Parts: sequence; structure tokens; C-alpha cells
Amino acid sequence: MTQGEARRQVAWAELGFVTAIAAGVLAFVVEARGVSRDPQNLLLLQPTAWLVLGLWAVLAAGCVTRRVDPAAPRESRADLARVIGMVAAFGLFILGLEEVGYDVAILVFVLVGLIIGGERHPAALILFPPIFTLAVIHGFRLLIPYPFPTSVL
Amino acid sequence: MIDTVAFGSAVAMLAGSLDAWLWVVPGLLIGLVFGALPGISVSMAMALVLPATLYMEFLPAIIFLTSVYTGAGFGGSIPAVLINIPGTSSAVATTFDGYPMARAGKHNEALGAALFASCIGVLISYMILLVLVQPLAEVVLRIGPYEMAAIGIWGMVLLGSIGGSSVSKGMFAAGLGILFGTVGMNTAGYMRGDMGIPWLLDGIPTIPAMVGLLAASQLFALVNAKFIVEAEGDRGISLRRILAGGAMVLKNPVTLLRGTAIGVFVGAVPGIGSSIANLLSYGETRRTSADAETFGTGNVKGVIAAESANSSSEGGSMATMLALGIPGGGATAILLAAFAMHNVIGGPRFMEQSRDVVYAIILSNFAQAAVLVVVGTIFVYGASTIVRLPLRYLIPSVLVVSTMGAFAMEGSIAGPITLYVFAVLGWLLSRYGFPVAAVVVGLLLGRLIETEMLRAWQLAGGDLWRVLDYPWALGILGLMVLSLALSLRRDLAKRRALRAAASPG
Repeated sequence: MTQGEARRQVAWAELGFVTAIAAGVLAFVVEARGVSRDPQNLLLLQPTAWLVLGLWAVLAAGCVTRRVDPAAPRESRADLARVIGMVAAFGLFILGLEEVGYDVAILVFVLVGLIIGGERHPAALILFPPIFTLAVIHGFRLLIPYPFPTSVL
Repeated sequence: MIDTVAFGSAVAMLAGSLDAWLWVVPGLLIGLVFGALPGISVSMAMALVLPATLYMEFLPAIIFLTSVYTGAGFGGSIPAVLINIPGTSSAVATTFDGYPMARAGKHNEALGAALFASCIGVLISYMILLVLVQPLAEVVLRIGPYEMAAIGIWGMVLLGSIGGSSVSKGMFAAGLGILFGTVGMNTAGYMRGDMGIPWLLDGIPTIPAMVGLLAASQLFALVNAKFIVEAEGDRGISLRRILAGGAMVLKNPVTLLRGTAIGVFVGAVPGIGSSIANLLSYGETRRTSADAETFGTGNVKGVIAAESANSSSEGGSMATMLALGIPGGGATAILLAAFAMHNVIGGPRFMEQSRDVVYAIILSNFAQAAVLVVVGTIFVYGASTIVRLPLRYLIPSVLVVSTMGAFAMEGSIAGPITLYVFAVLGWLLSRYGFPVAAVVVGLLLGRLIETEMLRAWQLAGGDLWRVLDYPWALGILGLMVLSLALSLRRDLAKRRALRAAASPG
């Protein structure tokens, strides 16, 4: 594969990601400068933020001028959808912990996680989530001194 | 330097106390189990068993607690190797090469290397402690904010380009980590980046963020895989291969000794401890290795460097605790609490008046290290079965346990929320080739560097040139510049070679 065969393509997703991070860093340094310009506030924060923003320029330029190999293996849409499904399910699980109780949230998340992972055996789907939930809830009740809300257990 | 009369008395004390020995194996096992649970720290494990020691004699109580300490010190490396979760913050660097080794089917060797490096590290650190307990403590007292800040920056720079596809991505990730470390109220009282969220005033919860970045993000990336180890033939659990991993430690004595030396010294500095010792040792080993480019892809030297340092820092922190009565971290603070429960006060007077007890504690730790080889091997053998579990079961289960661990660390939903935010961030960072480990290191070191720089700034009255009065700090900073220059040169040479290979003709 030569450079001539690789075509130039802007890596939009990566560019958007680093730009979003850089925007967050810029907002952080602006907010910190708004709190105080005293060196005791900005001693490490400000130079680090400028360094990160400077590096953003380098990385953004790299995203724009990137050459892609058309023969390189690419992730299928189905594979990506499964990963995003797991990320979303985990997010909903975290949101649901205090809303529906730790026990119900764990049970539902484990069940959904098994399905996303490809488990289709009914016995596994029926038995594993409640047994696992029971073990986790009782185990952590023994281990940690803080109470956590549950609906059933 | 060894008081032979007190030494003889310590041997007699241990030989005549069967009670003391009975607690070694249970202590090690408790430590291994708790250390291997994500979110349960060494100090939490020790705090949980502390009440049980109230009814024991002083020596068995301390031996039991130090056994838990030793066991948990190694226990943290088991999930670090098998599922990329550092069970404790001192096992962060173990994940860098331990997990890639496990993914490549070398989980037996990685765990064997971690176990033997830990045991030998503990052994050597206590040998150093036996001889140098007093001088080491005196050196520690001379370490000021300049030196501490320089150590923090040194660690940062050594690790800035871990595993990433380029130096710029490594530095971007490290800078981001440092900025995360500065969120909340600093020691000068300024509040930044807390977004009006009360729990962010104390800064971003480190352990949940770390588990999110390293582990949860990896688990997302594994959703489409079937097992941690893809090749079925490599999923076996073999005592022979665990021991072969142990033999690899003996074949890399320089890595082991360097890690142990860094661990003892850094572990002895109060407030730094094992969580930084393992990073510094890993960074130094990587910097000085001829095969530096293989680090992060499953180089056993990375595991040896990290594990020898984090376990030997136990000896270092014990030196400070015994000789000065200053706890270097949570675990030694609990040991001091156990001292207090038995009406014993650690510190110079204890060293002077009860030297035989100090020697007995040190000698019992030699035995603990030796017993850990056996108990740890059996434990590792059992824990390795995780590689045979299908990922469709492992991923949701580990995510749930990590969430509960994050809750346990914070005592509120703050832990799970932090875990999730950093899991998503970690997944995106690794997806685009950024070294997630550099963010973790930045997060761990950012607050330390800022605190020490602020102290130095306040001591110098804002005069930056006062750093010239501190040769040790200057030396460390010089080393840092050299390290960065070498990393840049290596990166440029690699790019030139790639370009030369890609150009036609």
C-alpha cells in the first residue's frame, strides 16, 4: 500500500470529539479565571489548559489531513450498535439506581446486558439475573456501612 | 544497625507465640479477596477487620492486620490483569501490560509474575526496613514540597506517552487528566470546575473515575467479543505457567530491584505511597528498556516493575509509621489505630523502647511474604477461571460490581455517576487512539502536583527562582526534561521509519 493509494479523508468523529473536549477545557479555564486570577488559583490549571488547547490544534490538523487505507477492516454498524446499546443500558441503569431501587435496577440491567451480549437461552435469562442480584445486594449489605435504597430485597 | 539483643528477643517472641502465626493465612486470604474486589481499598479491608483485633494480644493483632495489608497489596493485581480493573489504586500500572498479556492468553504468566514480584518486593522492602528503618525515616523528613512536586511532575512526564499512537495524543490525555485532578477546591481555597455540584468540591472521586476510565471503557469495547482470551486453547489455567511467570521475575532482576527501590523510597514519603510508586517504577522501566515500544502491549517487565514497587512500598510506609508515628496512607493509619487500641503509641519512643516488637513485626512480614507465594498461587489458580467465563455474563456482572464498589467508595450516587461519565469518556478516548492510562495518571497526580506546587509557591513568596536552592528537586526536573526529549526523539524516529517504509521504491 503506497501513500498514493490511501485517500485523504477528514476524520469527522474524532475531530468532533477532540473539539468537544477542547471546548470543555476552554470553558473550565475561563470559569477558573473568573473565580480569581491569583497565581494560587491558576498555577497549574492555566498552563495545562493552554497546553491542551495548543495540542488540540495539532490533533485537529491531523484529523483533517488524515489518509485512510480503504482496505483496512472497519467496524460493522451492527457491532457499533451493540456497543452503543450497552453504553446506553449502563447509563439508564445508573440513572435508575435511586429511582427504582438498586435491586430492580441491577436485575433489569443484567437481563438487558445478557440479551445485548447474545444470550438467548430462556433458563439463563430467567435464572441468572435474580440469583446475581440477590448475591450482590446481600454481599454489599454485609460489606459496606451505607444504606442503599431497594424496592424488593 | 541491627540491635542484636532486641533481634534475639524478637525471634524468641515469635517462636513462643503460636497465636501470632495462626492469623497469617486468614489475614492474607481476607486481603486477597478484598484487594481483588474493585472499589474495596486496602484501608477499607483493614478497617473492616480492625474491630476483630480488639480482643487479640498486640502482636497477633498487628500481624493479622499486616497480613491483610500484604494480601490486599497483591490482591489488587488480580482483576488488574484479568479484567483491566485495578482492584486498588496501587495496581493501576499493572493493568498497562498485565491486561494485554491476559488478552493474549498469557494470564497465567502475568499473574505468576505479579505474584512473585509482589512477594520478593515485600521481602526485600522489609529487609531494607530491618536495617535502615531509622535512616530512611530521617531522609523522608527532608522531603519538602519542591521535591514532592518534582516527583509528581516526573511521574507525569514519564507516563505521558503510554500506549498512545503519538506523543501529542499522550500529552493531550495527560493534560486532560491533570485538569480533572484540579477540579474542586484547591488548598488555597479557590473553587473551580465544580459546576455547582456539592460533591465535586472535594474533587472528582478518584477511584470510581479510574475504574470507569480503565475497566468499564474496556468492557464496552469487548461487547462484540466472546471471551477475554479469544483463542480457546489459551484459556487454560496452568500451575506450570504461573510458576513460569514467577521465573520471568528472576530473569529480570534489574527491573525488580529498581521497582523495589522506588517502592521503598516513595512508599516511605507520607501522602504519596504505593499508588504513585507503581507508576514511577513502570515509567522508569519503560524509559530505560531497549524494547520500550512493546510496553503497553503485554511486556512482562511492565508487570514486574509495577508489582515490585507497589508491594515494596508497604515496607517504606511501615518505616515512616514505626519510626516517626506518621501514617503514609490509609492502611498505616489503621495500623496506628490498632496500636492505639492496645495502648501503644507508634513513633520514636516506641522504636527506642520496644525495638524487639518492631523487629518481630518486620520478621513476621518475611514469613507473610513466603506464605503469600503459596496462598497467592492457590488463589490465582482459582481466580484465573474468569477467563473461561463468557463475556456476555462477565460484562454486565463486572459493571454491576464496579458500580457497587463506586457506591461503596463514596457512600452516595456520586460514585456510580462518576464511574459512568468516565467510562464513556474512556471508551471514546481509547476508540480514537488516546492513551486512557495517561488520563488516569494525570487524575491521580494532578491534585498532588497542584498541592505541592502551591506549598512551594507560598514558601518561596512567589519567587520561582527559589527552586534553585533545592538540588534534589532540580535533579528530578532535569531527569524529566531528558525523558521527554528521549520520548520525542523516539516518536520522530518511528515516524521517519514508517514514512521510509511507506514511500515507493
